[in-house]
Amino acid sequence: MPDVQALVNDFVNKLRKRKIEGSQATARHTAEFLRSVISQQRIPYTNQAGALIDSVKAVGEQLIAANPVELAVGNVVRRVLHIIREEDLSLTTAAIGDLNISDGSDDDENDRDDRPVLSAAALAAAARKTLRPPSLHTLLEDVPNATIVPLSSSGGDSEGKCKSADKSSRIRKLKHDVIEAVNELIQDIDTCHEQIAEQAVEHIHQNEVILTLGRSRTVMEFLCAAKEKKRSFRVFVAEGAPRYQGHVLAKELVARGLQTTVITDSAVFAMISRVNMVIVGAHAIMANGGLIAPVGLNMVALAAQRHAVPFVVVAGSHKLCPLYPHNPEVLLNELKSPSDLLDFGEFSDCLDFGSGNGEPQLHVVNPTFDYVPPNLVSLFITDTGGHNPSYMYRLIADYYSADDLVLQRKSAAGN
Amino acid sequence: MWYRSPSFILDNQEQEKFLLRQQLDQQNDDVLNPPPPPSMSEISIQNPNPNISAYYQTRAAHHAVVTSDWLAQAQAAVSGGVTGEDTVEKVEEDDRVVEKGESVIEEFNSWRKQPDLAEAVAAIRALASVIRSSKATTMMELEIELKKASDSLKSWDATSISLTAACDLFMRYVTRTSALEYEDFNSARSRLMERAEKFGEISYKARRIISMLSQDFIFDGCTILVHGFSRVVLEVLKTAAQNKKSFRVFCTEGRPDRTGLRFSNEMAKLDVPVKLLIDSAVAYSMDEVDMVFVGADGVVESGGIINMMGTYQIALVAHSLNKPVYVAAESYKFARLYPLDQKDMAPALRPIDFGVPVPSKVEIEKSARDYTPPQYLTLLFTDLGVLTPSVVSDELIQLYL
Amino acid sequence: MVRRTSRAAEDADDLTHVPLQAILLADSFATKFRPITLERPKVLLPLVGIPMIDYSLEWLESAGVEEVFVFCCAHSKQVIQHLAKSQWLKNPDMAVTTIESHNSISAGDAMRVIYERNVIHGDFVLVTGDTVSNMSLAEALQEHKDRRKKDSNAVMTMVVKKSKPSPITHQSRLGTDELFVAINPDTKQLLSYEDNANPIDKSLLSDNSSISLRNNMQDCYIDICAPEVLSLFTDNFDYQHLRRDFLKGLLVDEITDYKIYTHEIHSSYAAKVENFRSYDTISKDIIHRWTYPLVPDVQYFGSSAVKLGRQGVYSASDIGLSSNAQIGPFTLIGKGTSVGSNSKVSNSIIGEGCKIGSNVSIEGSHIWNNVTIEDGCKLKHAILCDGVVMKARAVLEPGVILSFKVVIGKDFVVPAYSKVSLYEQPIFQDSDEELEYADSSNGMAEISSISASTGMPDGELVSRAAEASEVGADGAGYIWSVFEGREEEWRHSVAPISEDKLAELLQAADDVLDVPHVENHQHSEELVAPSIDPENLTDDNIDEFEKEVEATFQRAVQENIKDDNVVLEVNSLRLSYNMAAADCAGALFYSVMKLAVETPHSSISELLHNVTRLIRKWAKLLKYYLSSIDEEIEVILKFEEMCTESTKELSPLFTKVLQFLYEDVDLIQEEAILSWESEKMGADEVDRVFLKQAEPFIQWLKTAQEEDSEEEE
Repeated sequence: MPDVQALVNDFVNKLRKRKIEGSQATARHTAEFLRSVISQQRIPYTNQAGALIDSVKAVGEQLIAANPVELAVGNVVRRVLHIIREEDLSLTTAAIGDLNISDGSDDDENDRDDRPVLSAAALAAAARKTLRPPSLHTLLEDVPNATIVPLSSSGGDSEGKCKSADKSSRIRKLKHDVIEAVNELIQDIDTCHEQIAEQAVEHIHQNEVILTLGRSRTVMEFLCAAKEKKRSFRVFVAEGAPRYQGHVLAKELVARGLQTTVITDSAVFAMISRVNMVIVGAHAIMANGGLIAPVGLNMVALAAQRHAVPFVVVAGSHKLCPLYPHNPEVLLNELKSPSDLLDFGEFSDCLDFGSGNGEPQLHVVNPTFDYVPPNLVSLFITDTGGHNPSYMYRLIADYYSADDLVLQRKSAAGN
Repeated sequence: MWYRSPSFILDNQEQEKFLLRQQLDQQNDDVLNPPPPPSMSEISIQNPNPNISAYYQTRAAHHAVVTSDWLAQAQAAVSGGVTGEDTVEKVEEDDRVVEKGESVIEEFNSWRKQPDLAEAVAAIRALASVIRSSKATTMMELEIELKKASDSLKSWDATSISLTAACDLFMRYVTRTSALEYEDFNSARSRLMERAEKFGEISYKARRIISMLSQDFIFDGCTILVHGFSRVVLEVLKTAAQNKKSFRVFCTEGRPDRTGLRFSNEMAKLDVPVKLLIDSAVAYSMDEVDMVFVGADGVVESGGIINMMGTYQIALVAHSLNKPVYVAAESYKFARLYPLDQKDMAPALRPIDFGVPVPSKVEIEKSARDYTPPQYLTLLFTDLGVLTPSVVSDELIQLYL
Repeated sequence: MVRRTSRAAEDADDLTHVPLQAILLADSFATKFRPITLERPKVLLPLVGIPMIDYSLEWLESAGVEEVFVFCCAHSKQVIQHLAKSQWLKNPDMAVTTIESHNSISAGDAMRVIYERNVIHGDFVLVTGDTVSNMSLAEALQEHKDRRKKDSNAVMTMVVKKSKPSPITHQSRLGTDELFVAINPDTKQLLSYEDNANPIDKSLLSDNSSISLRNNMQDCYIDICAPEVLSLFTDNFDYQHLRRDFLKGLLVDEITDYKIYTHEIHSSYAAKVENFRSYDTISKDIIHRWTYPLVPDVQYFGSSAVKLGRQGVYSASDIGLSSNAQIGPFTLIGKGTSVGSNSKVSNSIIGEGCKIGSNVSIEGSHIWNNVTIEDGCKLKHAILCDGVVMKARAVLEPGVILSFKVVIGKDFVVPAYSKVSLYEQPIFQDSDEELEYADSSNGMAEISSISASTGMPDGELVSRAAEASEVGADGAGYIWSVFEGREEEWRHSVAPISEDKLAELLQAADDVLDVPHVENHQHSEELVAPSIDPENLTDDNIDEFEKEVEATFQRAVQENIKDDNVVLEVNSLRLSYNMAAADCAGALFYSVMKLAVETPHSSISELLHNVTRLIRKWAKLLKYYLSSIDEEIEVILKFEEMCTESTKELSPLFTKVLQFLYEDVDLIQEEAILSWESEKMGADEVDRVFLKQAEPFIQWLKTAQEEDSEEEE
């Protein structure tokens, strides 16, 4: 499939070169890209889902390696994998239903001898299990490679039993269903802002003071939605050095008629006692309910905790990452160019490697993200509603299947 | 063999050695003249040594290479301090003849003696032997029989959490694997047997998974504080060392059974820089520590853990200095317990050697374990994945609901 | 492919769309990286593990360039191979085409070759393959295009970057000389471009209402050019160097009126690796992330993953660090490299597959791939190319360059600033740096001959090298002797400049800048240059100037150009070289005389005839410059110099010509001759040869003067 490979390379290059910016755009692009990969994937007669999963996994690994900091890529890849598994399962259970009916008429003796213990029901149970993360239920139940059983047997069984026409329609059906589901995912990503914004009125009350830092589109729409519902409130915007996205946000808010006050990042603590709620966006939500967020937010969260101000995070579900943060300050961070902070020309004499002992006395560090531990977050508002940080793992269990976590682990081990 | 080291030998006083010899002699006698196998009911009442928990004995047995030797020492210490006690389970251990109707406990103890075998595995193997020897013809009968056996196992040693947890887990599995899912009783039975046989493998695999999962968390140049001797933690650090990570380990001494000494020994074998701390130096050195790694005897429903004495203390110190506390525990250690405070669980007692004779009026806290509430734990590494403490209760609820 | 079509669709409305093209010169036409460049072209030398050319190409691609012509000359095979291997030639977003030429000796030649190919159709970006940048070209391009619409003479936009106006920063950061530019602050037009603090000509001030003189600019060597630039190179076949010849040529050329503009970048980074010092500095800038996203941990180049830890330590996978190895800040450790116990590494870049023993100390060094450093070695500010072996306890003092596969023997101490190579140093050396570009023709030929011989089996190479014991008993390699005239090796070395040298530099800078300190953006009359002190001018400058004038003059003769135009051209030359009017007169006179001498003649009398004829013919032109006594004296001195040195044929005619100048064409007045005489009276015997010859004439003059005065009385 040279075409697919070319597409992959192209997309990988874009990710590598940081040509796509922002989690939402990345998530959307990734989903669309995976959709095209799936639609171009030729599917064998047997084990179709397995083939799809393998190809998506292979592609996904490359994508994640291309920009390990943008977690949305991995999230979407895993979401798509989960979708494939789900669609395959629903088809398999349907097929097994057919199989059982036909069992009565067909000579099923051989089959039974081969697999005496695996009745259709057991198979279904095993299949059901594969979508869930490993749990105490499954601990004793089946052999570790349980996932293979439903996948291969679905292909194998159906091949033995089904008519060829039936077969090809099933193949098409799986692909079709998966693409449908991916389309839904893309739509979800597109509409996540609106869905989050819908909940704004429940959280923002009359005459409240809201504080935010930097600029997040989700936050902006959230605030504006509350404004449109005739809530009047004031917004403090911390400017979000060094990129000063807060200035942009302030402009946008004022354009929508919101009372806005711009403050410096360092004034957050001074102002926090007058604030009723902190609403911020996030780069990613980790599985433990921790937050990867624009730099400076940890400080805001600590200030909010000090004054018992609720710290609310709004983020689309594509930012939900099934990984746990380990050493997040370093590994999940990206150090940008120091030129955001300092003018190179002005400081070029401090960056002089040719004098003294060859090392400059001036170092500039410009991290992009902060890690906010879960105990500082009061509430997450995603497109599915508000959640406690400790509940995040539940959402993750809904969105991702446990087998796909390995995908990341492999590439992480490879690094 | 650290316990053969001069310092250890010095610690063990002459008197104890004498007693030890006595004990051994006695043991030999027992072996020579095995008492008749007691009936099931008898065992459940009679067996556990009230002063040394059977759980503790197992631990000791697993940590020492020569099982009987170590056990004898421990026994000797007890008999020196309190009253002489006959050690029935010794006899059982040596009596390996698997007969029809032989007690599940004997089976359990025989499995338990293998140093690398987890207690839960021993329990499940023991239960499997019950199935094997069972004459039941229906699933229900088998279930009742198993239930009886597991109850007797549990009551034999109420202090071992993983034993209890494993029994519960297996029973749960048996009830779930109803004959409905399988064509007939025989196939269901053989399936149960097969799963039980494989459990050892699962346990081993669980450790591998945990060590894989935790690798990401061990970064180059970090300092890890370890408390107690946990096979899982050892596996984790072993894997990290194999992956050429550079890290440093602090081991607490782990009084009174000095598990930390053993652990530091293992670390030194792996060429990992290691430092021993006395138990009271934890807070002193916590600022250098990047993370605390502990194993667990049991993970309870609240998401907290029950572990060797001192874990709670360390977790408190780590929490106050904002250091992460990681727990490595296999999922079969998840237990249906909900301790409300430290004393709200069966105490596991153990002998404590203070080096000098302690007047009888002085009371000694002999409990071997404490309970660490979930708010002091950062993450649990289990074979189910990396979990926050709150997920643990969710898992347990799902299973036993 | 999809992208391309969509792009084409986007541009459909813009009918005049021409793909943005770039010329990348994959040859520096310099020898600063010798001896390394004997074996590998400069553009393929790794900068933080990545060949320099990849940085340039990546940047061009991300800046939206659609077509790149890579001009390769020396080691062209290697460059092309590299491009093929790294997929550049198949890049879907940017077409990369190579242009090979083996007889180009300068950037100017390269431009002429490219012009002949006729591949450039619109505005193009001109860079060299050693440029590291992350700037966005869009703004500069737009500016350039807008200007072009208004004024088709705005042929070039040059990218400059501000840097601190410290007299030593240029030297210590990039190892370049200070740069003085004059820019029109309103239009951003470049008016003057000088490497040294030579004052700006007055006429600049009179021609421009406001002018900003800046000494805080760094030339990024990124130019956006109109297609005319190529033809300019073809028209002026003597243009060699992009800056020295072309840029300055355009600046002083008042006839064609081509204009050059500047574009200043602020937040983005751009720099060119010119010498070892800038190699070191730019590497460190990359490590310090000024070039983001062109940094090692962003996998821009599809290379193996590198992770950034705390304190700027970049580490690849599979590295074997002993637990007590100390990896200091701002260090990169490549894939598969191992570092032994108790070794210290700081501020260094270590490539892939290196083996570093224990108790090694590495500081501020660049270690390329597969280098072996045995126990107890010490390195400070050195460059070690691929395959170098340092035997136990060898020491490299600051500034050492070890070329490919050099072996340093046990306990050997390599002295500071040494360059060691397996190849012997070529016998001839281009001694004069100023002429480096012209001379590099030989250099290039020699390089290609050597590169052809690199194909020889390693065994032979080793056996040859084994004889060389210049670098220790069991070492292999020749220490290149420091070139004559380049004893200031420290200027361009990777090692930091020592304190005393810095102090010296500062002192020197202060001396030069004795003039009022030049402030940024200051444009007032007080900036008027101090009077020219001829002593200050280097001889080189004069020589070059004279050559230029001569060339101009010859052209004038051949093409029958009017005197006025010649005056214009000479004037512009004078501005660019900062010459006094006297120099022009001297140079012009020299040209005239030379022409006379070169005109075929059989006897002295015929020569005299030629001389008088030509002087008569160009008297008007000469007169233009001979407005004062000083200038006339200069002419006499020049003439005397010619007679003694270059054209001895003229020496018998000295007096006659002098007389002719005085009497017939009235170019020289008697005061000039007399003051020449009095000046010469005190000189050595040798210098007075012509004075003697002219004795009677001067005597006659004197008496005539006396008579005159008497008559007046």
